[in-house]
Amino acid sequence: MIRAEQLRIACGDFRLGPVDLSIPAGSYLTLLGPSGAGKTILLEALMGLLKPAAGRVLLNGEEMAAQPPERRNIAYLPQDLALFPHLSVQDNILFGSRVRRLDPAASRDRLAELVAMLDLEGPLTRRDISTLSGGEKQRVALARALLPNPQLLFLDEPHSALDAGITRQLQIKLRQINRELGVTILHVTHDQEEAFMLGGQIAVLIDGRLQQLGSSDEIYYGPANLSVARFLRHQNIFSLTVAERLPDGRMRLRGELDLVCASGRDLPVGTRVAVGIRNEEVTLIRPDRPVGDDLRDNLFAAVIVDIFGFGGYHTLVVKIRESPATIELNLPNCAFRDLGLGTGDKVRISLRARSLWVLPPDDGEPRGQHSYMEG
Amino acid sequence: MTPHHNRAFRLALVLPLGLLAGYFLLLLGGQAPYLNGSTLRAELSSSTLLDAIRLSLVSATIATLAALAFAVPAGYALARLNFPGKRLLDTLLDLPVVLTPVALGTLILMALNTPPGRFLHSLGLTLPFTVAGVIAAQFTVVVAMAVRMLKASFEEISPRYEQVARLLGCSAGGSFLRVTLPLARRGIIASFILCWARAIGEFGATVMVAGTARGQTATLPSSIYLAMSAADLSRAVVLILILILISFAVLFLVRLVGGRRP
Repeated sequence: MIRAEQLRIACGDFRLGPVDLSIPAGSYLTLLGPSGAGKTILLEALMGLLKPAAGRVLLNGEEMAAQPPERRNIAYLPQDLALFPHLSVQDNILFGSRVRRLDPAASRDRLAELVAMLDLEGPLTRRDISTLSGGEKQRVALARALLPNPQLLFLDEPHSALDAGITRQLQIKLRQINRELGVTILHVTHDQEEAFMLGGQIAVLIDGRLQQLGSSDEIYYGPANLSVARFLRHQNIFSLTVAERLPDGRMRLRGELDLVCASGRDLPVGTRVAVGIRNEEVTLIRPDRPVGDDLRDNLFAAVIVDIFGFGGYHTLVVKIRESPATIELNLPNCAFRDLGLGTGDKVRISLRARSLWVLPPDDGEPRGQHSYMEG
Repeated sequence: MTPHHNRAFRLALVLPLGLLAGYFLLLLGGQAPYLNGSTLRAELSSSTLLDAIRLSLVSATIATLAALAFAVPAGYALARLNFPGKRLLDTLLDLPVVLTPVALGTLILMALNTPPGRFLHSLGLTLPFTVAGVIAAQFTVVVAMAVRMLKASFEEISPRYEQVARLLGCSAGGSFLRVTLPLARRGIIASFILCWARAIGEFGATVMVAGTARGQTATLPSSIYLAMSAADLSRAVVLILILILISFAVLFLVRLVGGRRP
């Protein structure tokens, strides 16, 4: 329903784009990227608050260049919420209905619906918005945004000032709003965990360019390029060379590690590649256990050189024997306790062939499907 | 910091403060010997004095309202818009604040002899030795100050409020009227009061443009000057007292307004 075509934005020295992005009606798209990537600028261009240098924005197939922000029917929840300090809670929520001269009776019904949905019975009676808690302010801002019945809801890091518990409740509310009210949501965040938790499609924006667009799993396990891999905190990245194409279609790679990988990429022998695997996909094999067939290909003897605890899990840093490579892997606390591991212990690890991703190493070009449709 | 150092530091702060307060009280109290009940009654019933008070109040109010009518949009434009030559224009608008009012008054008179000045004259607007001249002089002195204050007020308001208002359905003008202007209310009231106080005390430019005709163009400050030049001390003292009372009331009001939440 909203579509950016070859959108380019110039803001001071910053250049964004060209961005091609399409968000179908009713979907939940998370725009993920580090700070300074241009996420807010992209939102502002889609909303009509910023004039693009080139390209166009289409809303339901209609070109938006001549439409001011107030005619786009997009609701906006900025990072600082921007609740109007001179208005009461109720006047804040009803602002859009009054400005648009919506039917007062219908607005009251909508208000009642939103108050029930967002648990605003208490806050609704407050005259001074500065007396609201952080979570209440956010729900009031959400109700204000949703009251005029927008087609689209744009959220710009709305949870940045809240503690984790309240953030989780609001994330659940946002998914409910998406499902029950049918509002299409574009949610900007720098928080990977939030992007994956929200569960819809994810677009990764880094350095003003849309690097990848896909499902949570596609993004998590198959970064489109090294910038995405580094931003998503892939710790195990190796520089290797394609040594052999195996008869079963897999590739043998040589370098600091000798690996077999199941990548579908058709790369000729001799190509330099970057190969990676997520910490969670590295398997630690107990000394007394037999090795399963799928773990035999990339099996290495290693020594634990460091251990970090992260509350719910431990990260082990292991040095591969007879190789300069070190690898990180995560173990849930229960497994870590059962194994009774310590630094200096000898272990075996396996890098499952199908869990490895492969990229040409200096791949600056963003890749991946930059628009998606439902189904 | 030892208690001894603390005392010395406090003394270094309080001593200048005390000296200043004493100096101002001396200035205020110095006129007491020249003031007595009978002259006060006599002066307060004189029509020229009442004319001066009335002219000062009316002209300062009109000049300030006119200044705000320009300064609200101009200050907002300087706070929000980016355009080539903005810094130059900003500096140009600062000039009347630093220029001595006597020079400003002279410049107004000279501008009357330019094509736009002659055009205004042909429309029936005459400034020299008229009440319109008093208002024009006061407007010229205070308008730059008003632009400066309002620009600062608008800059304090996050543009995010206007952006959210736009997406909720307001036009650019609508978001200004419904959100920005109410949020700038305190700054607008404060700048009205300060500009008004500056206008009512204005002397240099007013005298240059409108002169000091008693009962016609003589404001409170020019009446003080007239009284002193005629060595009429008791009259000057009464006028000063009235000016002090008005100024004090206005400044106190600024404190009240400034200290209140929007």
